[in-house]
Amino acid sequence: MTTIIPFGPQHPVLPEPVSLKLEIDNDVVVGVLPSLGYVHRGLETFINTKDFNQTTYVCERICGICSALHGITYTRAVEKLFDTEIPERAQYIRVIVGELNRLHSHLLWLGLFADGFGFESLFYECWKYREEVLDVAERICGNRVIHSISKVGGVTKDLTKEHIDMLLKMCDSLEPEIKNVEKVFVNNYTVKQRLVGLATMSKQVAYEAGTAGPTLRGSGNAIDVRETADWDIYKDLGFKTAVEKDGDCYARTKVRITELLNSLTIIRNAISKMPDGEIETRIKGFPTGEAIMRTEQPRGEVVYYVKGNGTKKLERLKVRTPTFANIPSLLLMLPGVKLADVPIVVLTIDPCVSCTER
Amino acid sequence: MLDNVIQNITEIKSSDELLKTVEGLKSDGYRYSTMICLKADEGHELIYIFEKDNKLKNLRYFVKPGEKPKSMSGIYLCALLIENEYQDLFGLTFEGLAIDYKGHLYLTPNSPKAPLA
Repeated sequence: MTTIIPFGPQHPVLPEPVSLKLEIDNDVVVGVLPSLGYVHRGLETFINTKDFNQTTYVCERICGICSALHGITYTRAVEKLFDTEIPERAQYIRVIVGELNRLHSHLLWLGLFADGFGFESLFYECWKYREEVLDVAERICGNRVIHSISKVGGVTKDLTKEHIDMLLKMCDSLEPEIKNVEKVFVNNYTVKQRLVGLATMSKQVAYEAGTAGPTLRGSGNAIDVRETADWDIYKDLGFKTAVEKDGDCYARTKVRITELLNSLTIIRNAISKMPDGEIETRIKGFPTGEAIMRTEQPRGEVVYYVKGNGTKKLERLKVRTPTFANIPSLLLMLPGVKLADVPIVVLTIDPCVSCTER
Repeated sequence: MLDNVIQNITEIKSSDELLKTVEGLKSDGYRYSTMICLKADEGHELIYIFEKDNKLKNLRYFVKPGEKPKSMSGIYLCALLIENEYQDLFGLTFEGLAIDYKGHLYLTPNSPKAPLA
């Protein structure tokens, strides 16, 4: 006989409200039904009141954690409508701020995850390191989480020598700190006992379920949008897709830790190759036509669709966020998992409900 | 760059052709990325996006007024969320949805009906 147990929308391990109706048989999950809508804000309709430049700031507010990458993806999509290439220096600045976004998002997630399985001191460590990233982001952009670095045609702020020194100092300081927490997440006996073999998803299932980001790469699929032609700039930055083949909670954690170290390499290389010059191309007129742009956010691939009709307002904006793509994989991962492990499994997709519901 | 531009799009004429094409894409190894719904003159336009080896394949299908498009969730389970979203926001009805929230994925009974339609 089975019982239905509600998980969320308010739950100690969930930073945002998502509700799962869990069908339980003898302490083991046999079925899942997700329920959304608690923080739906109708942002895709709201842009009807804004012009295409103001929409950048609406997009950044879809998510407080990957805000810069939302803004960057949106502006790149609109630039495609104008068939415009922005100056190379601006592209490098976008990449650097985008990687800062990934660093603080992954460190935040590692902390929440450690808290999720009861390792409080590890939670504090990860969040302490995240503060270093936020401090640098604040000095560069003026804000801790809503960076507002990207605008249609380029970026809003240039990097000064002081900013670059801060970035390099942050990279030097973070690298050994990340390696320290890596030791705990990867080698600690108790952590491994909780994560290894939990909620395993095969390579094929993850691929067919439309999964995105570290959840997809943790199952052996080396798919990262940073490798596409649209992100040419990444090819010269020592970028290497982090991938693990086991497909369990442990593999997904290891992918994120490797990505932290990759981001430091990318930032260092971007700084060394960044050319001098303009940071903005002037754009005239209003957008016409339709375009798709994809970017790799910390949680996975985000897809932006924009349609312009020659007026100052866009006719349609559609955003497919990574958590939206990862929720169906919960339907496949959770059956067979013990009730006590459900919070850990839900956390391994790094759920962001504000993104999902927009 | 061209792979991401919506100009490279296959127009689909009927719901049956759509299902057949999507089944073909799945067997060719494409993964389901998302679907976009737009208001058209007298109906809706659906743009399906699939991805393989970092390249996109797009299908465009025009839904006539009153038509109930067939759900992709039988082929790609992950299509169920986006199809439910468009049931909420555009008032469409997808036939054969794997999990049907009947217009209440995001919206409550007191919410405005089909706010994007």
